[in-house]
Amino acid sequence: MTKMQKTDRREFLKKGLSLGLAAGGAVILGKTDFLQAKETEKAIPDLVAVKNGEPDAMFKKAIALMGGMEQFVRKGQTVVVKPNIGFPRKPEVGATTNPLLVKTIIESCYQAGAKKVYVFDNVVMPTSDNSRNCYKISGIEDAARAAGAIIIPVDDFSYQEVTIPGAKTLKTAEIHHLILDSDVFINVPVLKHHGSTHLSIAMKNLMGIVKNRIKYHFAGLEQCIADFCLYKKPDLNIVDAYRVLMSDGPRGPRDEQALNVELKKTLLMSRDIVAVDAAAARIFGKNPEDIGYIKMGHKQKTGNMNLNELKIVTYSM
Amino acid sequence: MKPSRIRIVISLFIFTLFLLLFCGPEKISSLLSSVLLPFQFVPALIRIIANPKALSVIGFISIILITIIFGRVYCSFLCPLGTLQDLFIALSRKIGWRKIHSFQKPHNLLRYSVLCLIIVTASLGSMSLLNLFDPYSIMGRMITQFALPFFLWIYNTVISLLKYFNIYLFSKDTVSFVLSILLVNIGFFILILIMSSRYGRLYCNSLCPVGTLLGLISRVSFFKFTIDRTECSKCLNCAEVCKAGCIDAQNAVIDQSRCVSCFNCLCACPQSIVSYRSSVKNREGDSWSSARRGLLIGSIAAAGSALFMFNPGIRNLLRTAHASSNQLVTPPGSVSLAHFTQNCSACHLCVSACPTKVITPSFLEYGVGGLLQPLMNYPNSFCDYECNLCGRICPTGAILPLSLEEKKITQIGEVDLLKERCVVYVNNENCGACVEVCPTKTISVIDKGNILYPVVDNQYCIGCGACSRACPTAPKSIVVRTNPVHKKAVKNVTAGAAVQSKSAVPKDFPF
Repeated sequence: MTKMQKTDRREFLKKGLSLGLAAGGAVILGKTDFLQAKETEKAIPDLVAVKNGEPDAMFKKAIALMGGMEQFVRKGQTVVVKPNIGFPRKPEVGATTNPLLVKTIIESCYQAGAKKVYVFDNVVMPTSDNSRNCYKISGIEDAARAAGAIIIPVDDFSYQEVTIPGAKTLKTAEIHHLILDSDVFINVPVLKHHGSTHLSIAMKNLMGIVKNRIKYHFAGLEQCIADFCLYKKPDLNIVDAYRVLMSDGPRGPRDEQALNVELKKTLLMSRDIVAVDAAAARIFGKNPEDIGYIKMGHKQKTGNMNLNELKIVTYSM
Repeated sequence: MKPSRIRIVISLFIFTLFLLLFCGPEKISSLLSSVLLPFQFVPALIRIIANPKALSVIGFISIILITIIFGRVYCSFLCPLGTLQDLFIALSRKIGWRKIHSFQKPHNLLRYSVLCLIIVTASLGSMSLLNLFDPYSIMGRMITQFALPFFLWIYNTVISLLKYFNIYLFSKDTVSFVLSILLVNIGFFILILIMSSRYGRLYCNSLCPVGTLLGLISRVSFFKFTIDRTECSKCLNCAEVCKAGCIDAQNAVIDQSRCVSCFNCLCACPQSIVSYRSSVKNREGDSWSSARRGLLIGSIAAAGSALFMFNPGIRNLLRTAHASSNQLVTPPGSVSLAHFTQNCSACHLCVSACPTKVITPSFLEYGVGGLLQPLMNYPNSFCDYECNLCGRICPTGAILPLSLEEKKITQIGEVDLLKERCVVYVNNENCGACVEVCPTKTISVIDKGNILYPVVDNQYCIGCGACSRACPTAPKSIVVRTNPVHKKAVKNVTAGAAVQSKSAVPKDFPF
């Protein structure tokens, strides 16, 4: 039997079982409200911004303002939490997502009843040695493991090709199968300066779920970033703007002594990936109009970058 | 326990350590390299000549002393290729290809001319011949070529199976095969397989420079295997187990220069007439050895004078001039192209160990004078900024150890940004793949109308090739140009300016 067939059968069994369990569980517990989810959605704000707290406290406040993690993660679901682990840098550098935030999100997913939480990133120089370094040095591996998540080392065989409807440049992409197979996808980027695209936030963070990220650079980086969001929008975007790398991004400076970081102590949360990027750009001190992919995403109706048109809830701790 | 059994156990143990050295994890590799390789003849010798290290000096002297006292025990206990041949010999005995050995005539002309040729070419600056025939390096190349991919394949298969049990581990990058080198390795493998399974330790007594050299010493060694001519019944048992084919049982004479001290004869003699003992009371000279005395003296003289010639001036004679025009980059710590090519024994330990597999073996890239010596394989991979493993494990000093701090400012090459190919300059679209990955901030950007154009300042560059690897164009728009003599790079610390950890968080949200 080939590996492919094996996988298919496994997947089939898994899906069948989980579907059955979810349906059964829902009926038994009487929690059938996800069938009428429309009702509750109205209560969810377009964007939540919290500041002046520690990463874990800010997240807890923000998710409460969003209506609780239960809005996004149901009992028995599988979740992918996708932080930015792109570089082998320590958390202080601000090149990677805050490990405490990642840990708190995973815990929150489990509290909401998640069956499994996966964490991974296709790092910038994806040799296995380098990804190991990135996972380790960023502190995310240890934090995620402590919270009970499953850390996935990415390899070349975990991807599946998909076509992207309406894309201008990036017509197809190879996407990590966990994104396709999991029920919930939570995008947890860090806000930082970026030498290629001015800023790296939520839309840019999705480059870590595709296989050939170098293709983007060649084909037109910003259009590709915008195009990919036509295929997959995360169920929730949580932007870590606690410690913001203001220059030398995305990798951070050569020496940690010469760090140019600002403690913005902010956390943004939204289901709209364009809106959350626009808000994060403002936090950074940039105009969203100047960031190519945000503008393109807005034009392609992936989301809304006009913050004044959105229902925003802010909170200062 | 019989002495030949002890020999088998020790040599197999050391052989296993060699497998671990090349295939094991980083920590084990570097530990084993520091304790095992100073006791390998050729690496220790090269190390002593160019960059003496205490342990190598001790190792080399002890090999010589042991040979002077006990004969060529090195060949039977320490040499990994010797053990490999013993394995082949045992195998061929099992399958009945060659059940018994017999006395062979010495190939003196061949072995002494190979040795002389190797010494002369090495003195003139080409390591090729030495590298081709050095037993340790042959073994290293074979493990790198055959054993390592096999172990990696098993390791990665196990990891991919564990996924189904929700256990996720990092796989290891595999070595890429280069056809020409594969053919060389297969050739040597077959050569040694045939030689050993048909003729025992013939390689050690014909082509191996170490065997020949130690053979010169073991002629006069303190302890020798001897046959008591008066009591020998000429049963030939000893000759039949002698892998080196050096026992002329008819005349009850053992050729000391070819004996590899395997102790087989000692255990095979039914009357214990073969003995291993001190030869201080030099009995009447062996008839054949006097005939070779001239050659012996000649070889020693040649070896001695050749060693005197080991100086950089003369060693440049055979150095291949076109190597530097070929844009070959040598690993950090190798000082210069000349230093590297003149000290590398092409054992490919660095090739095995390199975590990013940027160090790959060359074939003729360094020219005929630098056959098989490794090079930095840009842009297929890049040199990890946080790694200095190759220098830590190199046994010959071709790659000298650098502290991580030193390594991070050692400039093995510079980059060249080819604007006529670069996506940003050609299409006026953001790319920045090189900027993202540059660990030294050599590449920065200039913002012109919201397009970020990369620019290079080579004083910071260390030539790691990360940019070239990341560059999306084909052919690459940013390439590494070699520094034939490595330089020091400047640390770029200006970019971040002052630390701006502003503690005052702005009160309002900007929206």
